[in-house]
Amino acid sequence: MLQVRNLHVSIDGQKILRGIDLDVQPGTVHAVMGPNGSGKSTLASVLAGRDGYEIEEGSVTFNGQDLLDMDPEIRAREGVFLAFQYPVEVPGVTTMYFMREAINAVRKHRGQAELSAGEFLKLAREKINPLGMEADMLKRAINEGFSGGEKKRSEIFQMAMLEPKLAVLDETDSGLDIDALKIVADGVNSLRGADRSFVVITHYQRLLNYIVPDYVHVLSDGRIELSGDKNLALQLESRGYGWINDEVVPQAAAGV
Amino acid sequence: MPAIADRTDVYLERFNDALARFADEPTWLLERRKRAMERFLQLGVPSLKHEEYKYTDLSALADGQLLFATQLAGAEAALPSYAAGSSSDRATGAGPQVLGRIPRGARVQSLAEALRSQPDLVQRHLATIADCEDHALSAVNTAFFSDAVVITAERGAVLDEPIQLVFGDGPTGRLPRVLIVAGRNSAVQVVETYAGSGTYWRDAVTEIYAGQNARVDHYRAQVESLDAYHTGRLQASQERDSYVGSFSISFGAAVARNDIGTRLNGSGCECSLDGLYAVRGDQSVDHHTSIDHAMPHCNSHQLYKGVLDDRAKGVFNGKIFVRPDAQKTDAVQSNKNLLLSDESEVNTKPQLEIDANDVRCTHGATIGQLDSEAAFYLQSRGIGAGRARNLLTYAFAADALERIKFAPLREHFEALLLNRFASQES
Repeated sequence: MLQVRNLHVSIDGQKILRGIDLDVQPGTVHAVMGPNGSGKSTLASVLAGRDGYEIEEGSVTFNGQDLLDMDPEIRAREGVFLAFQYPVEVPGVTTMYFMREAINAVRKHRGQAELSAGEFLKLAREKINPLGMEADMLKRAINEGFSGGEKKRSEIFQMAMLEPKLAVLDETDSGLDIDALKIVADGVNSLRGADRSFVVITHYQRLLNYIVPDYVHVLSDGRIELSGDKNLALQLESRGYGWINDEVVPQAAAGV
Repeated sequence: MPAIADRTDVYLERFNDALARFADEPTWLLERRKRAMERFLQLGVPSLKHEEYKYTDLSALADGQLLFATQLAGAEAALPSYAAGSSSDRATGAGPQVLGRIPRGARVQSLAEALRSQPDLVQRHLATIADCEDHALSAVNTAFFSDAVVITAERGAVLDEPIQLVFGDGPTGRLPRVLIVAGRNSAVQVVETYAGSGTYWRDAVTEIYAGQNARVDHYRAQVESLDAYHTGRLQASQERDSYVGSFSISFGAAVARNDIGTRLNGSGCECSLDGLYAVRGDQSVDHHTSIDHAMPHCNSHQLYKGVLDDRAKGVFNGKIFVRPDAQKTDAVQSNKNLLLSDESEVNTKPQLEIDANDVRCTHGATIGQLDSEAAFYLQSRGIGAGRARNLLTYAFAADALERIKFAPLREHFEALLLNRFASQES
């Protein structure tokens, strides 16, 4: 589904990613962990098409197409979804209006009929209730005055509405209390399926108790230094990130 | 300067011709016209050297050609949807189209009719509320307007839907004159729409008298031809406990200048002077507002929002006078601008003159650009770049638009903002 090959990215001349390789098969959940500043959020931003990143080398292919060549809205319509680390407040536009525009843009792209107001509302109610939010939220301006937890749940709601093929969750767990974390994780787990993949970016192992990954990758200084299964996350939890730099990187450098 | 004097000669000639047409008018009105002409000849059309006009170039109006020598195209200007409904051709002389049901207790008359049926009221208010002493452009209108619309609401009358006046390409549409008199405890809503085609100058003046505890909601929608000059004046005079709300929409005209003011002559008055301007290309739009707090315990609110694209220019100048007696005044002013291009510009200036000590006056002005992170957020959900821009532009204007209580008017301009960059939709 997603192939990242030797991806080098810089911001304002400063190298952030130094050769990322990542293969995501349909139906799998990949966790990307790493210390602050390792390049996790840059990877998420580049996949979603945020401005300001210089692709110096490498390629990203999504279902056989060159992802980096697409505008952000085309990526979204093709099935890429980014749950923002810091969801943006947009006063003046209701979540309802926003999501209806979005879902119909996606449906149009897929050759499906647009949803009527009634159909949209029915779908929105189905998707919002399991997240512990009221349909009233739809009438509020996008993220305006939302608590941190509400913003993150709103991201999961949007993801559920748009039914992406690849969802990238950028530190969706940061700042959540345990109850909100469970709600978010349940939301993600209910969307897991054979043809939907997730890249879950997180600083903390805690989230992975609830969203159990198939693969765990450790990002350090712009490279994936280590990959493994869910046990790697547990190891990181007990040992911290320090040992990666102390042990794994020198070994790799020495060709061990 | 002789050059200027020569140029106003045309006005004087035309005025002498016009006097014959005004022969049937009462003496007091003729005197007011003559005084206005006299004053105009002294003032002339304001140049860029005039402090109050330094950003808005009206030099093309100086010789009167655009007023006297051009014809309105005559082709029916495309009217906004809310104003294009079935017109009931009411007896307002050669005046504008009047839309809307005229409820019991209200009258919409031509000047001639009003002079017959309520001469004292007309004499008391017409050309006394919008003074010409410092307003050359109002002086031109007072000297030359050929008909007026007189809207009166008698004591206690409540109009629950607006009276719409549509000034299009009609023959007398160049110098629209409106007088609105809201009697004690009455409530009136008026929508004025200005739309035309071709190159011309329209100079409009509306006067509002709000009696004790009366409520007037006034909307002016300016969607003139993009080759036109539009100069407009709205001046209100408020009695005790009255409310006047003004909303000025300015989307059209090559050059638009609006002077909007109210005098709060009794205690307990309230006013809202709000507006939304959206211009592009080489358009320029200039709003000067003035609120005169003469008496204590009055509140005023102002929210003006502007959207400027391409090389468009915007001006906002908000004057608030708080006179020595006007203790406990609460005045709030805000002007916010969104620049969609590098070459657009805005000059915004609050001007507060406060002569009382127990008052609250706040003002703020902002000039900003579209939030690129918000645009990316919308795009990341599948919304096209052009559409995202439209949505954010609309969102910027939303709190101003909300103040338009007449839904068809609000919806029309909401849709205009939402479809502004239709060509970029993908």
